[in-house]
Amino acid sequence: MRPKVGVFDFTCCQGCELQILNCEEEMPDLIAALDIVAFREAMTERGNYYDIAFIDGACSRESEIVSLKEIRKRAKIVIPIGACACLGGVNCLKNAYPMDEVLKAEYGEAASYYDTIPARPISAVIPVDFFMPGCPIVKEEFIRVVQELLAGRDPYQPNDPVCAECKAGGNVCVFDKGMTCLGPVTRGGCKATCVTGGAVCWGCRGLIDEPNIHAEKEILESAGLSMEDITKRFNLFNVCQEGVWK
Amino acid sequence: MPIVTTLKADFYSSVQNMIHENEVYGVKRKTPSFAFDKLCATQELCLDYDITVLPPNQYLLPPTDPLITFNLSPEVSIRSKVESRATIILGIHAYDLHAIKLLDAVFTGNLVDVNYQARRSATAIIGVDCLNPWLYSFAASMGTALPPSIFDLWLTDLGGEYLIEVGSSRGQDLSKRYLKTKSARKVQIRQRDKFRQDSLNRYQLSLDRSAQEIPEILDKAWKNPLWEELGEKCFSCGSCTMVCPTCVCFDVRDKITLNLKRGERYRLGDSCMFDAFDKVASGENFRPTGTDRLRHRLYRKGKYMLERWGELGCVGCGRCVHACLVDIASPVYAYNRLVKEATQWPSA
Ligand code: SF4
Ligand code: SF4
Ligand code: SF4
Ligand code: SF4
Ligand code: SF4
Repeated sequence: MRPKVGVFDFTCCQGCELQILNCEEEMPDLIAALDIVAFREAMTERGNYYDIAFIDGACSRESEIVSLKEIRKRAKIVIPIGACACLGGVNCLKNAYPMDEVLKAEYGEAASYYDTIPARPISAVIPVDFFMPGCPIVKEEFIRVVQELLAGRDPYQPNDPVCAECKAGGNVCVFDKGMTCLGPVTRGGCKATCVTGGAVCWGCRGLIDEPNIHAEKEILESAGLSMEDITKRFNLFNVCQEGVWK
Repeated sequence: MPIVTTLKADFYSSVQNMIHENEVYGVKRKTPSFAFDKLCATQELCLDYDITVLPPNQYLLPPTDPLITFNLSPEVSIRSKVESRATIILGIHAYDLHAIKLLDAVFTGNLVDVNYQARRSATAIIGVDCLNPWLYSFAASMGTALPPSIFDLWLTDLGGEYLIEVGSSRGQDLSKRYLKTKSARKVQIRQRDKFRQDSLNRYQLSLDRSAQEIPEILDKAWKNPLWEELGEKCFSCGSCTMVCPTCVCFDVRDKITLNLKRGERYRLGDSCMFDAFDKVASGENFRPTGTDRLRHRLYRKGKYMLERWGELGCVGCGRCVHACLVDIASPVYAYNRLVKEATQWPSA
């Protein structure tokens, strides 16, 4: 029996779902291996019970709390995918402002038609079974996690900082080029794709389990960043990782 | 084995021919540093470099290295996968060759690793003396600034020409096939020796004691507070090991197709600086803190590898010194500090 799979979107850009659809080469094998019963971005049919539910996006409305609880009831395995779902991600930047101001800024006159609550990661609303981080998720990681679930294994969660793959890939460290980076405290598994492509790590995969925040602050400070810059930098994806970065 | 010379201009046209007929990995510019990479044209080659971002180990131990392929259905079958291709590494420095000597001991000593061995024996090594050492290197005091005799050809830049020492019959063949040489005169060999001697004096970092004393220094250092002082800054990022030419640790993982019918088992680089490295199935971690792991790494470099494989685990290339963003990875700094404090903190 092929496992029944649902893919759901909450507050996000749906880029992570697009990454699933971007697995073009593997798509025939994916469809053969999985019974995809719900996937709003890709199809109209909709089933109601799931062996695996992939959840894209953060939770930022009361109605989303209700939907999430319903999905949890109907799914055996729940996996948040992407920075929005795993960390709250960029959505949480709004939490620094009063909600009515946020609504007005976004919808102007029409604000009264909408409601919103402070954004939060999926795990703040329902229990989840695994995290697949990244903004967006890494295609290869999605395929690997599906393989491991099909084989009946607990998926492997990388916990080494981005620096490891960055160095192993032969990159010149951006600190040698006068730039700064969150690689030393960010969960690897993306092959340091941003540094390899000429940018820096912004921390989209979230923090490793035991990040050395103190040391990271020190290296950013000695690279010339103010405390305010450092906080901004960190808050981009990780502001909802409360208590870790203050 | 003979010692010959070749004009630089001739040498670079020889390299073009070499590239034409072989897979040649040489040193190229990678601003602001240098890197080993596949050579496509002789102009890309930079033999006057200070350091490469990564050592050339990647050609002997690729970052991901398939070991076996297997079928799970309809029948279970397993096949070993050994990949190797005739390869030339061009421009290796002496410290990196000392590291390969250690890899040889690890992978072709008592236990032969067939994947390593196949690649190693298919790889010709053409090295070059490092006459202008890197700011962070301390190879001279590790005794690794001059090449061990496991090269095929070894170059020294004499200005207008290269002095070339032939180190093996494979080197002899390469020389015959590609190089336009004259036998070296005594005065040229003396000039090489002087250039080498001068280069040894140009290293900025050095050990305060001889490298042979490191194990003894470490014997008395287990409880030194230095480890805590350095370790609390550690990111456990593994940068220091990823760039290290003597690091040999790997993890083994499986990759299975979505239909669960076929798969591949491969290895990939691991690091004793990672939090998960010492985690065992029961969930315990026998080196749970950055401090434990940092101490372990510096014992491994300065003592354990020597005891097990007969070579020190650090060749003084300096890559980790530079790679560590919090300046705690340097073996030379740690060993010198321990010497200084030996009187204050007697044995464990
Ligand atoms: S994690 Fe990034 S790509 Fe994925 S949904 Fe959120 S914003 Fe889009
Ligand atoms: S560029 Fe960033 S990720 Fe890469 S080694 Fe440097 S700090 Fe680490
Ligand atoms: S390098 Fe950093 S920002 Fe880029 S994908 Fe990886 S974790 Fe995300
Ligand atoms: S420990 Fe550091 S200096 Fe020694 S060989 Fe490794 S990278 Fe080079
Ligand atoms: S010693 Fe430095 S480079 Fe090595 S793991 Fe610790 S922080 Fe990273």
